Amino acid sequence: MIEAHRLSKKFGSVQALRDVSFKIRKGAITAMLGENGAGKTTTLKVVLGFLRPNSGNVTVAPGRVGYVPDRPAYFPWLDGRTILDLAAGRASGNGTDSRARVLAVARNLLFDPALLRRRPGTYSAGNAKKFAYLQNLVAGPDLLVVDEPFSALDPPSIKCVRDIFVELRDAGTTVLLSSHMLSEMERIADGFIVLRRGTAIAHAGIKEWRLLRSARTAPDLESVFLRLAGS
Amino acid sequence: MLDTALFPLTWRVTRTRLLASPLTVVAGLAFPAFLFWVGLRDSYETAAKFFFFLFPYAFLVAAQDTVRTDIDSGALENVLFLGGKFRDFLWAKNFALAGAVGAYVLGLFILFSAWGLASDAFKSVHVVQFALGLLAGFYYVGLAGVLSYFLRAGSNVLGLLLAQSAALVALLFSATSRTGFLDYAASGHFPGLGSRLLAGGLVAVLPNLVVSRSLFVFGAEVLAGLGLTLLVQGRLARRLELGK
Repeated sequence: MIEAHRLSKKFGSVQALRDVSFKIRKGAITAMLGENGAGKTTTLKVVLGFLRPNSGNVTVAPGRVGYVPDRPAYFPWLDGRTILDLAAGRASGNGTDSRARVLAVARNLLFDPALLRRRPGTYSAGNAKKFAYLQNLVAGPDLLVVDEPFSALDPPSIKCVRDIFVELRDAGTTVLLSSHMLSEMERIADGFIVLRRGTAIAHAGIKEWRLLRSARTAPDLESVFLRLAGS
Repeated sequence: MLDTALFPLTWRVTRTRLLASPLTVVAGLAFPAFLFWVGLRDSYETAAKFFFFLFPYAFLVAAQDTVRTDIDSGALENVLFLGGKFRDFLWAKNFALAGAVGAYVLGLFILFSAWGLASDAFKSVHVVQFALGLLAGFYYVGLAGVLSYFLRAGSNVLGLLLAQSAALVALLFSATSRTGFLDYAASGHFPGLGSRLLAGGLVAVLPNLVVSRSLFVFGAEVLAGLGLTLLVQGRLARRLELGK
């Protein structure tokens, strides 16, 4: 689904990514892990086309791509309903099928549909995050990329979002997550990519990861991560 | 290649922004009121002079905050603009802005012409002046767009207005000499390369001047300037990255 080959990216004198390569298979949840400044968000932005790599390339299989940023931002003059319309590719009119889908997804996200009449700039951080999920999920993505999937969310919403990831995977959607919440990632991810200082230092499926855990006699993902990251 | 599927999205985002901006709404209502007042107080001909000279500024007012504010807001890092589509969106905004403001000034021109026809003051040259004013307005959109890659929140428009003020002050100084630039401009005859270049430079910062008969000939320069600004914007957009 996604194949990155020797991605490198520099911002001035800062080498943000150095020869990062990985493959992500279709219909799996992959977690990208790393400390602050490890290059996770930069990698996601290169995959999504917001940044261009200085060298290397990335291939994404054809299909509908969704993206939920860490801190979503929106045009301040558009209300939630209009943004959903635009996301659904409908520049005018409101179809009843789409409304039903919006309501169903909003219910799953514990998002109050009445908020759609307001501008997302007036939402709380948690509701803005849920709205970003809503904007993506109503379109039915083949690939969903999420930066810090649980940031700003309360515990019930975290559980809902986690369940949605599993439902998406079961329906064949590929999910790429970048997160610091290792315990949550361990519960849902099928594979992991660990970045350290712009370099991919580990790339493993859940079975290999468990072997790695046992080989290092580590009790959980956090312990393995801390050893790999050298923290 | 520009993704034409982005045009409906760009059109809706741009149109909604213009209607949500108090500045553009107030300016859009005040302008016809001012023209009507001038027409009643003085004459239709005077109102026409104001209309043709001033309406290109409607494009300039609408072209504030076109690029840098969007980039800095983070709103372009949205699923709507994945795969580099934010570049196409920013470029397509030129056409959406030109279309939205063009529709507004065309409506004003139709009303204004109807008024002129009713009072037997309409002249056929007004159609040509309107076309040249539209060209000047489109050029403003292109030029303000280029500046908006570097200047944020209306500073692009302010920068252009300051350049125009400086050019007009320089022009007033030239009028003190016996055969100054103003005399050439009034006659439409520019002897020597120096005065032609000066007129060309003035039109580059104040394209509204092409609606006057003496500076008709510089319409081609404004057209070339429009093409150049769109080309420069295309290059700037291609180099643009989000979230550095």
